[in-house]
Parts: sequence; structure tokens; C-alpha cells
Amino acid sequence: MKKNHKNKFKTPEGYFDNFHDRLIDKINQEEAVHEESIIPRSDGFAVPEGYLEHLPPEVLSKINHKKTKVVQLNPYKKFYYSAAAAAAVFLLYFGLNVNSEPDISFEDLADAEINAYFDGTDFDFSSYELAKVVDIEELTLNDVLETQLEDENILQYLDENLEDLDDLNLDYVDYE
Amino acid sequence: MIAEETLVNELKQKESQAKAFEVLVNTYKERLYWHIRRIVLNHDDTDDVLQNTFIKVYRNIEGFKGDSKLYSWMYRIATNESLTFLKQKSKKLGVSDEELKMKLVENLQSDVYFEGDQIQLKLQQALATLPDKQKLVFTMKYFQEMKYDEISEVLQTSVGALKASYHLAVKKIETYLKID
Repeated sequence: MKKNHKNKFKTPEGYFDNFHDRLIDKINQEEAVHEESIIPRSDGFAVPEGYLEHLPPEVLSKINHKKTKVVQLNPYKKFYYSAAAAAAVFLLYFGLNVNSEPDISFEDLADAEINAYFDGTDFDFSSYELAKVVDIEELTLNDVLETQLEDENILQYLDENLEDLDDLNLDYVDYE
Repeated sequence: MIAEETLVNELKQKESQAKAFEVLVNTYKERLYWHIRRIVLNHDDTDDVLQNTFIKVYRNIEGFKGDSKLYSWMYRIATNESLTFLKQKSKKLGVSDEELKMKLVENLQSDVYFEGDQIQLKLQQALATLPDKQKLVFTMKYFQEMKYDEISEVLQTSVGALKASYHLAVKKIETYLKID
């Protein structure tokens, strides 16, 4: 082994003698790896037959077509834009003022419509929700019954089903 | 093939314009077709973009100063037209640019002008995941076999940056292709 007296590092025997050869080998190896890349050399695209042959006349015809001078049919066209703009402003101003109707409020709804809405809509309230919105103090039996009960019907029911009507301590004055 | 400078001069003169333009189209149609096709993927879209590119070249030839080469100027127009076309298409379909790219690759499976196998289809999927510039550098170098100097002139990017882009693109594609 060679000794480097200046920095004390050592290199293997003959390291520099064949350095160039080893470097060339490595470059060749890397190139070979590159050649063997898994990326395909062709990307699989095809072109319709005769497409490229027919392309030049097609492009030239488009250019000739686009080159044709367009004759302005109406030279006063630019004045139409300012006239149209003025008319648009005029229509917009009057249109906004004429069509400005007041907003519809809840009061504008007819009672019949409100009733029809409540009759026709199944709200499906839970008993908890009902208890929150309906004051129980003001609630009477007839408010929740579909068939209205008259006092006479109630008395008749009680008379038929109770052994002693007097046990109820009813104030008969109210039912006479 | 006539010299580029002569062709440009003839294109700028009214009496020789038509003939010179025909020469220009015949000279560059194939190279530009493949460049555009690898960006927009579909043949019909490529045809539209290619024709628009030539029409733009024709209309703007007066403004061509000759600071760059004619072919690199045309490639730049073709690249811009292709990318603008894709942007407009994604806007029209209401999808993002990335979604459109994936959709275009999906469409290749039923495209009569795509004869690729599964690995080539996967390559297109991999390319669709790359940023636009990386994809451009890769296709121009790998498939069109352009030199870095030429790509540099078209994309107006330094050769060093292009080499880095290409290297990154290759690594990403290889990794993608290795996934089952």
C-alpha cells in the first residue's frame, strides 16, 4: 500500500492505475441500464391514412377563405350601438320605476288561504311541540275533538253509565 | 429543402407567399403534428390545433424578427395553442386541468388511432401526472429526439434546468410504471 505522508490517508494498491478503465466501465454500465429502461420507445399513437398528405391543401383553403375581404354591409352600424345603449338606459329607468310594486306581506294573505293551508298540511306535531305552543289553561275538550260534544250528550252519558250521578257533585244550575 | 432565411423572406412577400407557405406546411406538418398530438392526445383535436397553429404562423409571419429559428418559433406557437386548447376544454367541461388529463388518457382505450398496449397506456397515465413543463421536456427529448439546445430555444429554459426536468420526469415515470 502506498502511503501519503502529507495527509496520512491511504489508497488501495493500483487504485489510480486502472481508474480510467473502471470509470469507462461504469459509464457504459449506466448507458446500458438507460437503454434497458422500462419506458417503451414508442407511445402507440397512430395517424389516419393519408391525413398528412391532405393537410396542406386544407390549411391553404382555410387561409384563402379567411383572407377574403369582408364588405361592410352597413356603414352606420357603429351609430346603432350608441342608439341601442341610450334606448337600454331609457328602458331600464322606466322599467324599474313602473314595475316597482310593494312587497307582499303576511297581511295580504286571505284568511281562507291560511285556513286552507292549515287544513291541507299535515304538520305531524309531537305532543311536546303542541304543549309548547298551546296554552293548556285555555284549552277545552272540544278544541281537540273532531265531533263536538254538547252538554246534554255528556249528561246523558254520565246518567247512563254512573250509578249515582250525585257523587260527582255537579252544579246542576250550569246544565239546566 | 430551402434555407430558413429564404423561406421567411418569401413568406413575407405577397407574390411568393402562397408557394412558400405550402413549402412551410409540408416541411413542418409532421413534426408539429406529433408535438401537438403528444400534448392533446386525440387525433381530431390535434388536427384542429395544428391547423390553427399554421394559420397563426401565416398571419404573424410579418412580426417574425428572426431572433430565434423559425422552427422554434413555430414549436412555441404550437405548444401555446395546445395548452390553451386544453385549458378551454377543461373549462367547457367544468373539470379541473388534472381531471381533464386523466379523462383524455381514459378515452385512449376506445380511440381507434391509439394502438398502444397496456404498458403504453400506463405510460400515458404516468405522463398525465407530470407538470406540463416536465411532460413537454420528456416527450420532446424521448420521443421526438430533440437536442437540449433545440428544446431550450422552444421552451426558453436553460439547458441545465431542462436536464434536471428530464431526469426527474424519467424517474417519476419509471416509478409509476413499476407500480402494479
